[in-house]
Amino acid sequence: MKKLFCSLTVLSIFANVYAQTKITSATFGMLDARWLGPGTMSGRITAIEGVNEDGKTIYVGSAGGGIWKTTNGGASFKPIFDKYCQSIGAIAIDQKNPKILYVGTGESNMRNSVSIGDGLYKSTDAGDNWTKIGMDSTEHISKILVDPQNSNTVYVAVPGPLWSDSKHRGLYKSTDAGKTWEKILYINEKAGCADISIDPSNTNIIYATTWEFRRMPYLFNSGGQGSGIYKSADAGKTWKELKNGLPIKPFGRVALALAPSSPNNLLAIVEAKETGLYISSDGGENWKQQSATSNITARPFYFSVIKVDPNDPKRVYRPAFAFSYSDDGGYSFTDASGDGGWVHSDMHALWINPKNTSQLYVGTDGGVYISLDRGGTWMFLQNLPVGQFYHVAVDNVDPYRIYGGLQDNGSWVAPSAAPGGVGNANWLALYGGDGFWVQPDPLDSNIAYAESQGGSVGRIDIKTTKSVNIQPQGAQNEGKLRWNWNTPIVIGAKNKSDLYMGAQYLYKSTDKGSNWTRISPDLTTNDKLKQQQDSSGGLSADNTSAENHCTIFTIAESPLDESLIFAGTDDGNLQISNDAGKTWVNVSHNYVAAGIPAQTWVSSIEPSHFNKDILYATFDNHMYGDHKTYLGKSIDGGKTWTMIKSTEFTGFAHKIKEDIVNKNLLFLGTEMGLFATVDGGENWFRMKNHIPDYALVRDIQIHPKTNDLILATHGRGIIVVDDITPMRNLTKEIIDKDVVLFDNKPITLTMGKWGDGGFPSTGGWNGGNPPSIDPIEYYFKERMSSGDVAVEVYDASGKLVQTVPGSKRKGVNKVYWNLRMTPPKVASGGTKADFGSFSAPMVLPGDYTVKLKTGDKEYTKQIKLVHDYSNPNFTIVQREAQYKTATDLYHLHEQLASVVDDINNNQKMLKENVGKVKSDKVKKLLKEYDAKLEILRETLLASKQKSQFADEQKLRERISDVYVAVCNQEAAPSNLQTQRVGVLQQEVQKAAQDNIALNNQYAIKVKQALIKEGLLKDDKSTIENKKGN
Amino acid sequence: MKKLKTSLLALLAMASVLTAKSQTLDEIIDKNIAAMGGKDKLLALNTLTMEGSLSMNGQSLAVKVAQANNKGSRIDITVNGIDNFIIQTKDSGWTFFPIQGQTKAEATPPTVVKENVDALDIQSVLLNYKEKGHTVELVGKDDVDGTECFKIKVVTKSGMQQTFFIDPSNYYIIKVVTKTKANGQEQEQAQAFSNFKKLDNGYVFPLSLTGFGPGELKITKVDVNPTLDQSIFKPSN
Repeated sequence: MKKLFCSLTVLSIFANVYAQTKITSATFGMLDARWLGPGTMSGRITAIEGVNEDGKTIYVGSAGGGIWKTTNGGASFKPIFDKYCQSIGAIAIDQKNPKILYVGTGESNMRNSVSIGDGLYKSTDAGDNWTKIGMDSTEHISKILVDPQNSNTVYVAVPGPLWSDSKHRGLYKSTDAGKTWEKILYINEKAGCADISIDPSNTNIIYATTWEFRRMPYLFNSGGQGSGIYKSADAGKTWKELKNGLPIKPFGRVALALAPSSPNNLLAIVEAKETGLYISSDGGENWKQQSATSNITARPFYFSVIKVDPNDPKRVYRPAFAFSYSDDGGYSFTDASGDGGWVHSDMHALWINPKNTSQLYVGTDGGVYISLDRGGTWMFLQNLPVGQFYHVAVDNVDPYRIYGGLQDNGSWVAPSAAPGGVGNANWLALYGGDGFWVQPDPLDSNIAYAESQGGSVGRIDIKTTKSVNIQPQGAQNEGKLRWNWNTPIVIGAKNKSDLYMGAQYLYKSTDKGSNWTRISPDLTTNDKLKQQQDSSGGLSADNTSAENHCTIFTIAESPLDESLIFAGTDDGNLQISNDAGKTWVNVSHNYVAAGIPAQTWVSSIEPSHFNKDILYATFDNHMYGDHKTYLGKSIDGGKTWTMIKSTEFTGFAHKIKEDIVNKNLLFLGTEMGLFATVDGGENWFRMKNHIPDYALVRDIQIHPKTNDLILATHGRGIIVVDDITPMRNLTKEIIDKDVVLFDNKPITLTMGKWGDGGFPSTGGWNGGNPPSIDPIEYYFKERMSSGDVAVEVYDASGKLVQTVPGSKRKGVNKVYWNLRMTPPKVASGGTKADFGSFSAPMVLPGDYTVKLKTGDKEYTKQIKLVHDYSNPNFTIVQREAQYKTATDLYHLHEQLASVVDDINNNQKMLKENVGKVKSDKVKKLLKEYDAKLEILRETLLASKQKSQFADEQKLRERISDVYVAVCNQEAAPSNLQTQRVGVLQQEVQKAAQDNIALNNQYAIKVKQALIKEGLLKDDKSTIENKKGN
Repeated sequence: MKKLKTSLLALLAMASVLTAKSQTLDEIIDKNIAAMGGKDKLLALNTLTMEGSLSMNGQSLAVKVAQANNKGSRIDITVNGIDNFIIQTKDSGWTFFPIQGQTKAEATPPTVVKENVDALDIQSVLLNYKEKGHTVELVGKDDVDGTECFKIKVVTKSGMQQTFFIDPSNYYIIKVVTKTKANGQEQEQAQAFSNFKKLDNGYVFPLSLTGFGPGELKITKVDVNPTLDQSIFKPSN
């Protein structure tokens, strides 16, 4: 017995553990994010591959926005890789079975901000489902090639890690369609495989290029003895290095192209001491240098594509800084025309439709363009929202505006809501260059501060976009100012007139950047070894401020005390001033003591909104090859730190954000996902909520009025989760209950903020609008699989106003009642649907009851509806007048419906009996009655013109005409609308009287005749003399 | 000591119950078939009629569905007293929506009819799928509105591609995504199912469906194996 008790005790403990409801993103089920884009400025494209057999199924890989698929040549796209790593290096299609796809994650355009991958994926159903098939540690994959003659043979070129040595570099081969892999070309831990080409006529012949490269946080090197061009004639068993005619090593990156229709013809752009274009006509055995323009040879580490037309060996394409093409096999090149509009520079991918080689798709740093004339002119696809934001900020106008800077694509602003949804036309370019921080001035809604790379900051007039450069300048003996590529511009969280910028010194302005005060000494380590950017690039000089180092990277002012200022540097210092910059304390040793590596980039600092001594910070160490998620918390002003860990975390950390209402609600953005906790950091979950699972989340804001969560993603543009209030309010007590109907805050009676403009979008990206009506919210512990779920709304008198179908998902549910009555029953029949039957008057302000019905259970709450006092053009008196007219017309519809029902019933009876009666006289009577009823019916509803283009208007339509207008206007009815009600009332009354008159004339006669014919029993007649309808 | 051992044994036993056992495709399908009333019941399902209403802006539209297994399907929707219908048979299809100005039934393109012919299987595409010539694959698990579901991909003999999401707590199909490619356009449609109810005759049906129109389709009446006049599967105009 004791034994049994013992077992049961354990069992119950175990059951309890499992019974606790775990909070996940599913708990906040209906918080679906909006993707605002923009599409007008897209993002870096890294791979484009199309299905040869149809020429319109195309896969687009992006630098940080996953893979997008079109099945219509680009008219529309959808993302197909949102559960996986978003940085795409390469895509390959098995053209023999185009449902088979391979995707290598981790792009290989090795710029400073490049993301990393987590391996190789395969789909066997054209991208619907994916399986990871290895190469987890490769970090970057530049090319995948399926043997065109043997689908089981696949090659993968792996440059490998950018920030560390690695044994995982090299060229890999599979002979079993990806089940197993063999490394067939390996140089060393510093040099990987960058490119591969295969001879389609003899697939044993393969060409590969190797590349030695490395980035440090403060230096880039492309080039070394590990770089080269190799050829194998036995499908990768043995290799020989190609040298004849090529420049003296070391090489850097080599772009290689083979002419598929004449495979002995090769072209190579070889990065060397003097980078050049080389051509071979004998399968690479001998090469000859060809003169080339700077567009052909510029920036080899970043522009690594050269391609030859699949059918024409003379037609060569070089997508690079600009787009160049050659008609003579590469001996001379021409640049594309600008007649189709500006084409974004910096090109990384090109797909040529082999069945129609005039059709080209090029991928740039700003999206995808299509050419239908072999690259002569280009058209932009405006429907790919894969922009790479670094930061995001919001203002306080209504609707609030969202500001952010895009990688290579300037600084932008857009409203968070707009008529027809936030579309491409709503985005305004504010400032050029690469964009990073953009800050709206909280005290002047027409001013924003934005920058281009290296701290070139401007004060911008938003209306005109004219700007004044306000970058602080160095004073005597201060040395060269060191501005980070991504220089922080920060507005004071406590004092909104404070504007901060950081070089190695911290600057503050209180007059919108007109004048600056240096408020710190050099806050960095000032390590001179990390300040040699003049020699950055390797074989090709590349010093664009991207490698600037020993700089301030993040700045924060306490929301509780403007004298409490924090600055984090890219070389590991976290400095705190308690006296507005007079004195500074470096607390880097303190966070290192908590296990966070020294020298990390302090990527964000978040002083608490609730306690001056509490601060959070994120640390990014990926530039030293360490991808761990570092999040620290101090509760004593930075003296001691605790590292916050979670098994949920993936990716190096960019941003920690504390909610502004609930101190236990925190959000963490990393290179691979958005994470949230509702218990102060004890338990974390990955936020999905229509956010890509591994989104690159660089920055996070919470809007103080709308409670929206706004994300700057580095590859999926701006993402907004509208109103996160449910995340603030969900207590443990609630989540363990099966069903909870939440208290509803008063709902404002509104028909929404916007009209519809009358026309739908004609294409491009549209991020939609937040819901215009507040929802009724409830919580289900589990999905409601059995039993109906409905929300019923009753007015103060207990009358049912409307029943709304309820959603049944696990977690928080939102149901949107349109704040209207149930639409009227309108006259039945005719030739077209009547819009009046789908419109209803909006209810009046007052107290209502909400009943949530789940199966046989019922949950009740009161709800208050309030007039929209923010609308000066629609007073409460006008609302009441509108309601009265709308309900008068509502009743008219129902009265008319009753008359028509009566007519319909009688006509039905007459038609049923006319064939049965024997007497010609009776038959004639029935037909005559039916004909008279029909004459009347035809005056009551459109019943003649059977076409959607016919505008036949009878009484039903005349009622609807004014009824729909009044129901849907936030205005008092006009004098003529009101008068119209009286006119229509008379018409309905007349219709009822005419019907009665006809019944009086015929009903008794018909009834008696049918009884006589034996078709009707004496005591039961369907024909009654209806007195009034 | 003995006590501890006993406790641990109990813990182990419990753990084995709670550890999600990897289930095969056929096990999942068998459980789904059982959850819907069982194989025998489904194999005996020859005709079906349902009545219900579609909710739109608070307005309720009457809907009637009539299906004859592998023969025909007809959906009637009444709007303002005007009847509209969609008919599909093995070799033809018709659409008549006078509320949109149609004056006579319009034929469904043959490629669409051909692709959708397996949708006429009212017993369940998953039932005896091998004999029916469908390709069915368990592709893992996926989230449906917060519920981690078994994800089963079906390519039917007629080429219709469907993904079924089965709730592991009850083995009901709670979502189906259908992908069609007819007429050169790839399109996806998602339907969700809930309010599953076991009828007196042992059959289980979802009485709430979304994705079939603008709002929720609520089924209020189900008749199993009624006599159907086959002429309903031909347009009357």
